Amino acid sequence: MSGAGERSGSFSFIFAWELHERLLWFSNLRWLAVAGLAVVSLLGPMVGMVATRPSLMVVAGLVATYNLVFVYALRYRYGPEEDYGNLRTVAILQMVTDLAALLVTVHFTGGCASPVLPFVVFHMAIGTIMIETRIMYFLAFSTCFAAAGLFACEHLGVLERYPSVTGAQSSLASCGLSTAMLVGLVFGIVYLTDSVTSRFKTRNIELHQTTTELRRSLDEREELERRKSHYMRISAHQLRSPLGTIKTSIQVLLDGYLDPGSDEGLRLLGGTARRVDSLLDIVNDLLELAKMREGRVKAPWARNVSINQILADIFDAADPSAREADVELVPHFIHEGAAILDWAVPPDLVYAFENVIHNAIKYSKPEGGTVTVALGIDRTHAMVVVADEGIGIPADLQDDVFLEFVRAPNAKHAEAEGTGLGLSIVREAAQMHGGKVSLESAEGLGTTVTVVLPLHYVPPEIIDGRSR
Amino acid sequence: MVKDDDHREIATGCSEVRSGSDDRKRLMKRPTILVADDDAVFVASVGSILRSRYEVRTVASGSEALASVEEDPPDLVILDVMMDHMSEGFDVARSLRLSDVTSLIPIIILTGVDRVYNLRMEVDESWVPADHYMEKPVEPAELLRVVGGLVGPGAPEGS
Repeated sequence: MSGAGERSGSFSFIFAWELHERLLWFSNLRWLAVAGLAVVSLLGPMVGMVATRPSLMVVAGLVATYNLVFVYALRYRYGPEEDYGNLRTVAILQMVTDLAALLVTVHFTGGCASPVLPFVVFHMAIGTIMIETRIMYFLAFSTCFAAAGLFACEHLGVLERYPSVTGAQSSLASCGLSTAMLVGLVFGIVYLTDSVTSRFKTRNIELHQTTTELRRSLDEREELERRKSHYMRISAHQLRSPLGTIKTSIQVLLDGYLDPGSDEGLRLLGGTARRVDSLLDIVNDLLELAKMREGRVKAPWARNVSINQILADIFDAADPSAREADVELVPHFIHEGAAILDWAVPPDLVYAFENVIHNAIKYSKPEGGTVTVALGIDRTHAMVVVADEGIGIPADLQDDVFLEFVRAPNAKHAEAEGTGLGLSIVREAAQMHGGKVSLESAEGLGTTVTVVLPLHYVPPEIIDGRSR
Repeated sequence: MVKDDDHREIATGCSEVRSGSDDRKRLMKRPTILVADDDAVFVASVGSILRSRYEVRTVASGSEALASVEEDPPDLVILDVMMDHMSEGFDVARSLRLSDVTSLIPIIILTGVDRVYNLRMEVDESWVPADHYMEKPVEPAELLRVVGGLVGPGAPEGS
């Protein structure tokens, strides 16, 4: 039943579509009752029930008529998509009309001595399966009250007493006894049916919840698969583009449109070599991302990793390129306390912080500026803030730049080289250390990247390893 | 668009060359081709292929391409699709087609994105057909054949 959860607007212990199914089934059964009434009407007088002809034929006709209405309503007005409350109203109406028809039949077949009296019990059982028990107790009470009233009226002579099978007319005592038995049976069967089915009702609710959860996780998986194949396609595109350029350059040189030894030819060869480099950069970054995402059990998790040390090393290494770009590197973390992570994968952290700091230098304005790296520590977290005075990121792209291969146009203009994967790697590294990364930027003024890492994060791989 | 008439004149002149009303003139002339692509290395390659028979101008973005066409309409425009924006080449093609002055200039879309992407763009209602589509990498001989079909064979430099 696909989409069972969505098929019912509201839900008690059964789904609306389930109730609908049962009501239709019950309506089909009712044609048997119509046939039975007709047979009793015809054969009744032969066994002493002289009043059944034509009265029960009329009852059969009435039952057939309202059953037609119910079947029509269930098929064309109240479908399985109907609100549960409306369908329950239909169910109660069916019960009430059936019980009324049954009591009329009981009246014409001998009152409290009638052989059809036990059929009341069937109705109670079926009703308890379909609708709430408290409503059924109310219906049971009403039915007993109506039956007792009917028998009383017959005995007091308000209504005529018709003979039962073999023409018998019960005494007051036996009538009282059968009334008492009816009350006992009616309430008993509601109670019993409820006890037996309550477990199924609970199961039904649990099943509903389980199904909903399963469907949700299936949807999530599908979404993940979709994103993965999208990612693969984008990656392939990103690799294809420099390859197309490289291939064209080679063909131009091979076919003799340019002399490889000429200045122009050498320039083209140089450019082509740079394309090969950027291709390698992309492949390396893709590998790095894949490595981080694998959730490696064998990741080189190390104890007590100093962020101060990592940043200091990156600063030393970045100094020449900063000087070349007229950028002043301002380390703001030297006098802060030591930020020591309980657990970390040092190469991944280095790669990530390198990316952030190199970006800050790379996208500084041509006239230079400063890149400030600040480190803040509290009891639970370390915060690394890298602020530049560079070209900034357009507002509409500030969320997207964390996605793979998204590069802002101004970044492309400022710097041809760039894989578009740097910030994805930064985010992946932060997440793998239980932290997160955020970004603030104003185009033309600069960008501030903030990485927050919990000091006492224990990676799941380590927890699993310990418990094993 | 102050010099609208001038532009029309030039554009009409170009279409005359294309329509082949004067074969000799057509054979002797080196038609001008505008190449718009943000990949400088690729532009250098395409430029050296085309320069064997044509005059070549290069730009690196859609807006530069439009400005260059307005300043001096070329005989053919070759557009990359993804420059600053995803569909920049298509946007430029649309602007050129919708303007009276430039609607007759043939356009080649030369793209690194695959056919699926092209097909998706084609069902876009704002789609404007180009004269030809080519995928990168491009075979020099094939490029010259296609360009030759649109603006004539051109002529070697200095002829």
